[in-house]
Amino acid sequence: MRTGHRQILVVEDDQETAGQLADSLTLNGYQVNLAASGSDALALGLSTDYAVITMDRMLPDTDGIAVMQNLRERGVGTPVLIISALGEIDDRVRGLRAGGDDYLTKPFSFLELLARVEALARRSDTVIKETVLRVGDLELDLMSRTAKRRGRHVSLLPREFQLLEYLVRNEGRVVSRAMLLQRVWDLHFDPTTNIIDVYVGRVRRKVDDSQAYPLIHTVRGVGYCLRVPS
Amino acid sequence: MAIGLFGAFVFALFGYVYWSTASYVRSRLDSVISAEWKSLQKIYDASGREGLAKSIQARISDEHSQDSLYLLTTPSYAFIVGNLKVWPPSLVGSDGWQNFQVQEWRPGASGPPMLRATVGRLSNGDHLLVGKDINDLDLFARNIKTALGWGVALIFVLAVAAAVSVTRRTVGRIESINATSRAIMQGGPDKRIPIRGTGDEWDRVAENLNSMLDRIEILMREVRQVSDNVAHDLRTPLSRLRGRLEKAYHRARDSHEDQTLIGDAIANLDSVLSIFSSITRIAQIEAKAQKIGFRAVNITETLNDVVELYDAAAEERGMHLSFIGNERIFVTCDRDLIFDAVANLVDNAIKYGHEGGHVVVEVAESADGVAFITVADDGPGIPAAEHQNVFKRFYRLEPSRHAAGNGLGLSLVAAVANLHGTRIEVVDNRPGLKVRLLFPPKLTMAA
Repeated sequence: MRTGHRQILVVEDDQETAGQLADSLTLNGYQVNLAASGSDALALGLSTDYAVITMDRMLPDTDGIAVMQNLRERGVGTPVLIISALGEIDDRVRGLRAGGDDYLTKPFSFLELLARVEALARRSDTVIKETVLRVGDLELDLMSRTAKRRGRHVSLLPREFQLLEYLVRNEGRVVSRAMLLQRVWDLHFDPTTNIIDVYVGRVRRKVDDSQAYPLIHTVRGVGYCLRVPS
Repeated sequence: MAIGLFGAFVFALFGYVYWSTASYVRSRLDSVISAEWKSLQKIYDASGREGLAKSIQARISDEHSQDSLYLLTTPSYAFIVGNLKVWPPSLVGSDGWQNFQVQEWRPGASGPPMLRATVGRLSNGDHLLVGKDINDLDLFARNIKTALGWGVALIFVLAVAAAVSVTRRTVGRIESINATSRAIMQGGPDKRIPIRGTGDEWDRVAENLNSMLDRIEILMREVRQVSDNVAHDLRTPLSRLRGRLEKAYHRARDSHEDQTLIGDAIANLDSVLSIFSSITRIAQIEAKAQKIGFRAVNITETLNDVVELYDAAAEERGMHLSFIGNERIFVTCDRDLIFDAVANLVDNAIKYGHEGGHVVVEVAESADGVAFITVADDGPGIPAAEHQNVFKRFYRLEPSRHAAGNGLGLSLVAAVANLHGTRIEVVDNRPGLKVRLLFPPKLTMAA
């Protein structure tokens, strides 16, 4: 089971959405606090040490990004997931990732939200410094950028290696298609086609074909998860 | 105001013409008189009073000089010879140029005529007067004045007539434009301003307004077409969604079946949402404040990424996707948008190409330093007549009307190209289609 504290602050002014978010996060083992305005969010964010804060961008009293900046100025380093309404991805939102934060556009699936929250929560408690990553019989050499399975070389293109590295670093966690597009290709739009699936399909063939067990698993409706089958 | 200015100008001009003509004639007259006086003085110097008297006598009797005055007197103004009988009393004791009137000169005339003369003393003290009757000059001046007066009057009449006709014509044309505008406001944009065919400025104004109306009509038709298409494209997934939910509602609960139905319903909803996000994304790109998020991008690298991303998809369709582009080419652009635009072109090329076909993505710089991106396939292509239509929102060629995709991909390409000032060329690849994006020179940078 995951380590670290599991307390989350959900900042959302729409009651129904806030309730749905709280339910699905609670179901996944988080303790959830709710704030319906920027000032409540600021007060709670300053008084409690959260693992992650999800912040709606359009709050009744202020912009979610302003609340986030306010928290940062007062020394709160909790990762923030900004949730913005469809079609308002501007450069401020795009810039969030540079600061270790993330964003999601409405409407989103709860599985996508969970994947993002998991990734942010993990980042706040672990930093991997190894030069070789291992999962089961898969070995990634981060210096030479090569992959081996059961000691045998797996031939990957540079982007394919990056994709595999990202999956390995998030071992056991769900990674969504949009997250892959953002982390591997640095692209900030949703492809309307199934292009990521096709791409991951090929990486999977290279990594998993004729092996003892598969490592890359499809998670229906969201994306992928790399793990050793139990 | 304009008329007053014009009048003052005409008056000034005519006044100047009159003044310069009159003074020219006068100075000519003066020089004639002065020359005559000098020649008489010479005669006097050569042959004395006797000779001078003879010469004067001769001139008086010459019928060509009937308007000339001559008078020679002794130092005490006693008459010697001349056609004036008496030294005019007003001129006694004076020398030089004189204007005066003498009743006895030309007795028939009404009132004493105006005379001009020069008066001087000869070396023995005799007085010599030489002059001219300047009544004719006055008459001449009056004639000029009258002629000029008529001229002014005529010019004013013509000016007023021209002003009235131009104003009436202008007002008439403005009124016809107004009438058309009113008709358009009340009816529809199908009315046009009449053109008289005179090729003047008013015709040009009317032509420009008419072509503006043509453009507005086309845009309105397109907007109507787009909303029809939005309605059509949204109705299909929405009615399926409704059908599925209704089915789920009425049937007996069965968790496995329910899950499938709900999963399909979510997929329908996602396709509706994806149409919305495509529309808002295109609108956002079109409304984008210029050049925000633009930076120097190595597009060779970006396109290589696109090709690599789509390579697997091409392979799946049994197609060959290749990339030509060796040197680093830097362009000032928004990387995400260029990636998205080229990805759409490649996606189309793969989607509509045939099995075993080839898709070639090329990036290069022309000799004059213009970067361009080409995406070419050897599929069925598009009829030349449709080349420009494919960039319209929701436009889909009839055969692909029911294929996957929402008909917005190429609109996005067009919006991205427009933001970058990039020209799109669509040409027949014989066989297939070749789409080329040409960056303006100012965005291309030396590597």
